[in-house]
Amino acid sequence: MTENAKIAVRNLDFYYGDNKSLKGINLDLPGNQVTAFIGPSGCGKSTLLRVFNRMYSLYPGQRATGQVLLDGEDILSPSYNVNLLRARVGMVFQKPTPFPMSIYDNISFGIKLYEKLRKVELDERVEQALRQAALWDEVKDNLKKSGLSLSGGQQQRLCIARAVAVRPEVILLDEPTSALDPIATLKIEELVAELREHFTLLIVTHNMQQAARVSDYTAFMYLGEMVEYGPTQQLFTNPQKKQTEDYITGRYG
Amino acid sequence: MSTSNLTTSMTASVGSKRRQIRVSWKRHLFRTLGTAFVWFSFVIVAVAFLSIILDVFLKALPGLKLSLLTEVSNGMSGGLKNAIEGTLVLSLGSLLISAPVGIAAGIYLSEFGSGIAGKSLRFLSDVLVGVPSIVLGYVGYITMVIYLGWQFSVAAGIITLSIMLLPYIARTTEMALGNIPQAVREAGFGIGAGEGSVILRILLPGAMPAVMTGLFYALALSMGETAPLIYTAGWSNYMWNGQFTNQPIGYLTYVIWTFINEPFEEAHILAFAAAFLITMVVLGLILLGRWLMVQQLRKRGAYQ
Repeated sequence: MTENAKIAVRNLDFYYGDNKSLKGINLDLPGNQVTAFIGPSGCGKSTLLRVFNRMYSLYPGQRATGQVLLDGEDILSPSYNVNLLRARVGMVFQKPTPFPMSIYDNISFGIKLYEKLRKVELDERVEQALRQAALWDEVKDNLKKSGLSLSGGQQQRLCIARAVAVRPEVILLDEPTSALDPIATLKIEELVAELREHFTLLIVTHNMQQAARVSDYTAFMYLGEMVEYGPTQQLFTNPQKKQTEDYITGRYG
Repeated sequence: MSTSNLTTSMTASVGSKRRQIRVSWKRHLFRTLGTAFVWFSFVIVAVAFLSIILDVFLKALPGLKLSLLTEVSNGMSGGLKNAIEGTLVLSLGSLLISAPVGIAAGIYLSEFGSGIAGKSLRFLSDVLVGVPSIVLGYVGYITMVIYLGWQFSVAAGIITLSIMLLPYIARTTEMALGNIPQAVREAGFGIGAGEGSVILRILLPGAMPAVMTGLFYALALSMGETAPLIYTAGWSNYMWNGQFTNQPIGYLTYVIWTFINEPFEEAHILAFAAAFLITMVVLGLILLGRWLMVQQLRKRGAYQ
């Protein structure tokens, strides 16, 4: 499986100071699929997600050891340019985080970091990204309006559009619907299903139904360890480990 | 699930009817007393505020003539043209220095200030806020007026005022940046932006409404200051000649501070006219600052 893995995790340990919170993770994540990470609070699923774009490196005292190979290259190596990594691996957060600028600028901001485009091309890219995030029809007449003036669900789709706009290969979604109402949640889930045509999506969720609905593969984590990983269908209907079965049947967590 | 909950709560409310009434009676009393106390406090502040404004206005009334704005002061009489100009030069000048330095310091404190350097800076800045402004004036007097030989001058006044405003602006900026959710920083870095872009193009614009309000307050604060200027800017009956050193300058608070001690009716009227002008401008600046912030936040939307 290693040959066609988009992301390969090898012996990954993670520390918050002296506290070891990921223990020897090994994982092969296929490209153009949705992989869901589930597990009780504090199991390390968000921590793992934040390793994939080295978000943890903003904070002194947090460190990762081992290897995370993106297309065979180790992104944990100090020589790997972290800004380029984040252009390849985008992220959407738990709470919507629009930048304090217009809807248009929210999208174009990221594009302009990497590409010099003419106005027409930029306009096209912005429209394309907003269409991909299923937001275009709602905002096309108000592109100059502030991103912060949108509703919560719209803000979250704006953040997805912003991530998509820089054409990353991988998109990390950290509990993207936990601050949204059911209708907005449904829209985001539909979006995730569509986006897997073009991107590799990794989603952390507290909601097991959501994991079952949107993902192709599911990883169950517990106390910093990768307990079980496999096709979603199999993990939910025929789990191989007792811990997994206990968790998905609601016996703990 | 919802049906059973409903039944339980209905039974409970029927079963404990007497106790519920007593609770709401207590709550009612507490609320009435609380509301009364809030209104009482409000009236005290409002009466004090209005009586000051009214008193100053009535005593300034005989002096509120156009000549106030067109004539320079002449000993204890004349107009306030030179003092108005001086106050504007000193306050705007000090804002010109303290705003960029203060905002930069605020950015440092908020974004890089978790280490020992940041902690020391924050501590020193708090100390500086606590230093009486007359002490700042005296320090300015010793260092600039005497030691550097600038004499009473615009430069000495502006720099002393800037030092007074600096920690205030730095703290306002730090707090404004601190109110932006950490996730917004992560989102900026998460899209691959560097530190500079994240701070200057995402965080600072996000904090701008609050920073601007802080600047308006700082301007108001500097206009109302007397002590740091008495030792540094001196006083002049003439318009400013554009020289930064070796040339004293007039300002409104000097008129209030000294003219009120003179045994002349005309001097008193001028002092109250100056006080009235300052009070109105300060009030206007504070209202303008608040209004701008509300407008910007309404137009832009705020982070939850």
